[in-house]
Amino acid sequence: MPKEAALEGFTPQIGTEVTLEQLVERAFDYRGNVTVIRRDGSSVEGYLFNRNRDVADPFVEMFDKDGHGPLTILYGDIRTIRFTGKDTAAGNSYAAWLRAKEAAKKASVPPAADA
Amino acid sequence: MSVPFSQMWTVASYVVTQRLRGRRRYPLVLQLEPLFRCNLACAGCGKIQYPAQILRKHLAVEQCLAAVEECGAPMVAIPGGEPLMYPEIGRLVRELVARKRYVYLCTNAILLKEKLQEDVFVPSKFLSFSVHMDGVREDHDEAVCRDGVFDQAVEGIREAVRRGFRVTTNSTLFDGADPLRMRRFFDEMMALGVEGMMVSPGYSYSKAPDQEHFLRRQRAHELFSQMLSSPKRQWRFNQSPLFLQFLMGKQDFECTPWGIPTYNMFGWQRPCYLLQEGYAKTFAELMETTKWDHYGRRSGNDKCRDCMVHCGYEPSAVNHTFTSWRGLRDAAVATLTGRL
Repeated sequence: MPKEAALEGFTPQIGTEVTLEQLVERAFDYRGNVTVIRRDGSSVEGYLFNRNRDVADPFVEMFDKDGHGPLTILYGDIRTIRFTGKDTAAGNSYAAWLRAKEAAKKASVPPAADA
Repeated sequence: MSVPFSQMWTVASYVVTQRLRGRRRYPLVLQLEPLFRCNLACAGCGKIQYPAQILRKHLAVEQCLAAVEECGAPMVAIPGGEPLMYPEIGRLVRELVARKRYVYLCTNAILLKEKLQEDVFVPSKFLSFSVHMDGVREDHDEAVCRDGVFDQAVEGIREAVRRGFRVTTNSTLFDGADPLRMRRFFDEMMALGVEGMMVSPGYSYSKAPDQEHFLRRQRAHELFSQMLSSPKRQWRFNQSPLFLQFLMGKQDFECTPWGIPTYNMFGWQRPCYLLQEGYAKTFAELMETTKWDHYGRRSGNDKCRDCMVHCGYEPSAVNHTFTSWRGLRDAAVATLTGRL
C-alpha cells in the first residue's frame, strides 16, 4: 500500500495488496476523486466523503464528479477503488509562496558593490 | 472583556438551563460551513483542499436553517471557505438574526467593503463580523500567502465599524509568532475600533500545506504568556478570560469536542471542527453515536495531544465559568481587573 502522497493513480487489487476496509479508509482520507468499481462491473467516479463500518450494512458516501449526491454504496457491493483524481492536498502552494517571497527579497537587495 | 451583556446573559442562561435539564453534552456554538470555496489558500488551512465539484457546491439556506434548529446552540459561527462568497449570505444572516441567534461571520474581509456597500447586511446586536487577522501586515500577508490582504481587511473593518456593525478579529498563531509584534497588532486592531479580539493556536491539519509551524503545548503556553501577561487596559478579547488563561497555562481544561459542532455539505462532522473522522446524518446521531471518549488529551489520541484550539477548549472554559463558583470567581476577577 503506497503512502498517501503516492496514492494518486493507485489501482489496487483487494485481497492481494490491501483489504477492502483498509482501502476504504485510504479513499476516505484522500482529498481527490476516486473511482469505485462495483461487483456488477458498474462504477462511480467522485469524491468519497464518508464511510461507516459501525452499522449492520457498512457503507460509503460520495458526491459524483458532477457534484450529484450523496450516493450510498454498500461495502459488500465494492470490488475495488481506484485513486483516479488529483490529490488536492498534495499541492505545493505554500512552498511556491515561500519560493516567490524569497526571490522577491533577493531581488529587492541591491547587489554589493565590487571592491 | 468585550462580549455584550445581552449575549453573555443568553449564553449563561442557556448553559444553566442545559445543566438543570441534566444534559451532559450540549452545543454552545454551531460552526456552519455553507461552502468550502475560498479566495485565499492559507498555509495553515486544511479546509479547502477538495476536488472542483465539491468546491463548486454549497448548502441551501434551508439546509443551514434546519441545522441551526436541529442543533439549538445560541450562537452560530459561519466560517468556510469564505462565507462572503456564498451567494445567499445576506439572506442566511437575516434569517439567523430573525431567530435571535448570535452570528459570527468569519471572513478574510477581502469582499467585506464591497458587500457592505451593496447593503447585503444590516447592523444588529446579533451579527458580528469576525475578521481573520493573523498579525501585523507582514505576518498576516505571509500567513495568508498573498500580499495586500491585510490592507484590504483593514479597509473592510473600517467600513463595517463606520456603518455601526459589531466587528471582532480572530487570529490563529503558529510557531514563530513574535509576542511583541502581536502586542503591537492588538494595539492596532483596538485603534481601528473593533469590539474585541479572539486568539487561538493553530491546529496541525494533516491536509494543510505547511506542516512545520504548528505550536506544541509548552511552546503555546510560553507564547501566550509573553503575549497576554500585563494586558493593556484598552485591549478587549471577545472570548472567555478563562480560555485565555488556559492558553497561558494558568488553567487546565479537558477538551469539549461536542461544544462547537460542525455542519457542512457532508453532514455533521465527527468529532469536531478540526478532525474529520466521518459524518452523521443528524445532530442527534452525531451526539449519540460518536465515540467521545476517543478524543481529548486524556484519551491519549495523538491527534488531540497538542491541540489547544478554541473549538474544543473555549466551551470547556465557558462551562467552567457558569457551572462552578471557582470558575465564576476567576472569570469575574479577570473581567473586572482586566488581568489574566
